[in-house]
Amino acid sequence: MEEGYTSLPASHLLGSVPAVIAEDKTTSVASEAASSANLHLFPPSNGGYQAPGTPSGADEQTTSSWQGVFSISSYSSYFNVDTDVVVERIISSVYPMNDFYRKIDGNPDLYGPIWISATLMFMLAALGNVGTYVMEKRNDSSTTWTFDVNYVEWSACAIFGYVLAVPAAFYFLLQYFGFRTSLVRLWCMWGYSLFIFMPICMLLVVPVELFRWIIIILAGTASSWFIAVNLKACTQSSDLMILIVGAMVLQFALALFIKMFFFP
Amino acid sequence: MSYGDTIPLHPSSQSDIDEVENLINAGAHSATVLPVRPPSPSRASITVSHSPFPLPPYQKVPPSSSPTPVVPSVPAAAAAAAATAPGESSRIGISTDALGSPPDTLTEPVWDTVKRDLTRIVSNLKLVVFPNPYREDPGRALRDWELWGPFFFIVFLGLTLSWSASVKKSEVFAVAFAVLASGAIILTLNVLLLGGHIIFFQSLSLLGYCLFPLAVGALVCMLEGNVIIKIVVVSVTLAWGCWAAYPFVSAAVNPRRKALALYPVFLMYISVGFFIIAID
Repeated sequence: MEEGYTSLPASHLLGSVPAVIAEDKTTSVASEAASSANLHLFPPSNGGYQAPGTPSGADEQTTSSWQGVFSISSYSSYFNVDTDVVVERIISSVYPMNDFYRKIDGNPDLYGPIWISATLMFMLAALGNVGTYVMEKRNDSSTTWTFDVNYVEWSACAIFGYVLAVPAAFYFLLQYFGFRTSLVRLWCMWGYSLFIFMPICMLLVVPVELFRWIIIILAGTASSWFIAVNLKACTQSSDLMILIVGAMVLQFALALFIKMFFFP
Repeated sequence: MSYGDTIPLHPSSQSDIDEVENLINAGAHSATVLPVRPPSPSRASITVSHSPFPLPPYQKVPPSSSPTPVVPSVPAAAAAAAATAPGESSRIGISTDALGSPPDTLTEPVWDTVKRDLTRIVSNLKLVVFPNPYREDPGRALRDWELWGPFFFIVFLGLTLSWSASVKKSEVFAVAFAVLASGAIILTLNVLLLGGHIIFFQSLSLLGYCLFPLAVGALVCMLEGNVIIKIVVVSVTLAWGCWAAYPFVSAAVNPRRKALALYPVFLMYISVGFFIIAID
C-alpha cells in the first residue's frame, strides 16, 4: 500500500474531500481576489458569504448566483461594522470634510443609512406634529392637540424614497458617463448625509418662523456641501460639475421639503 | 446521552440536561420514542410502545436528541415540534395500537386546546417580561416560543390605539400594526446581519412579548386623559419593555456591536411609546 493512495477504493468519497491538484492554487487565488472585491457588487453574486481565502470558493461561484440575493449571510459583509466605527462615521458626516469617502472606501456599510433614515422618519413624524401644534397654538391659542398620522406615512415615503432612489439614479448616471463607482458606497454616503437633519428637527420645533428658515437653510447648505465634496472625491474629476450641482440641488430640495411639509 | 463527553458544554446546556433527565426519570419504564415533529397524516398510525405518561408531542424536547449540541439546536427541535402547535383545533395525534388512551388532541374539547395555549402564553410571558431566575439564560428562557402571544399583543395594541384616536381610526391601526410587525422582522434581520446568533422566529416571539408592558400602558392611557399621567405611565412601561428585551438582544451579538443591535429595539419601542402618548 505504499505506492500511494490512488489504489484505494475512494470513488465513494468523491466530492467530500477536494482532490489536491496544482490548479487548485490558482483557483483559490482567484477566489480570494474575487471575494475581496465583491463588496462593490450589489446584490451579492456569490451564493453565500465567503471568508477571504477559502479555497473551496471555486465550487460555490459556479452555482447559480441569483440565490445570493435571498440568503442573509451574503449581506452580512455590508454590516461589518462596530459601534465605534459607526459613531466615527456619523461624526465625520456632520463636518463637510473630504475624508468621509476615504473612510468608507474599504468597508461601506448599510447599517448607518438604514437606521439613520428610520430614526429620521420617526423624528420627522413626531416632531413635525409637535412643531405644527406649537406654531398653530402661537397663532391661535384655542387649537387643541391633534396627531396627524399621515405624517408617518409621508415621512417614510419621503426619506426612504430619497435614500433609495437618488443614489441609484446617480449610480446609473455615473455608469453612463464611464465612472466605475459602487452603488453601496453611494447609498452609504447619502444615508450618512441625512444625519445632520436629526438635530435640526429638534431645533425646528421652535415656533419662530425666521429661526426655522435660517436653520433649515444652514442645514441644507451643509448637507449639500457634504454631498458635493464626497461626490467629487468619488468621481475624482470635475468634468461632471453638472451632476454634482444636481446632487446639491436635490439635497437642498429635501431640506426645503422637510421644512415646508412637516413644519409649516 | 453521553456523559463522558470531552466537549465542553455550553453553559445553558446544563439546564437542558437537567430537564431531559427529569423527563427520562418520569417516564422511566417506558421506551417511548417521541418524534421530533408530529407525523404527517398519511402516517397517522405510528405504533409507539405504551407509556403510562404520554407527553403531548409538542411539549418538550424528546430525550432522543443529544443535549450536548449548541443551544440553538434545542430550541430548533422544540420549535420544529411547536411549529404545528399554534392554536389549531385539529391536531395530528399519535394513535397507539389498542394500548390505553392516546393523547389524541383531535377530539378534545375546544376549551382544552384554548386553555393549553393560554397557559403557554402566560408562562412565556412570565419568563420574558417578569423578573425570574432564568432570564440570564437566553437559551432557556423562550425555548417554548410561539407566535400567538405576540400576535395578540400587537393586535391589542393596535386596537387600543385605534379606539383612543378620534379621527382616522383605521389609519392609526394600520400604522401601528405595520410598524410593530415589520419592525419586529427588521429588528431580527438586523441582529442576524450584524453577525449575531438568534433564531428568527424565537426573536420575533420575544420582541412581541416585550410589547406586553406597552400594551398595558396603552390601555391605561386610553382610559386616562391627562397628558402628564400618560407621559409617566408610558415612560414606566417603556422602561419595563426595554429592560425585558435587553438581555436577549445583547446576548445575541458580539459585545462590540451590542449598541448597534440594541439601538433599533429602543427606537421602535420609543416610537410606539410616543405614538401612545400622542394619540388624542
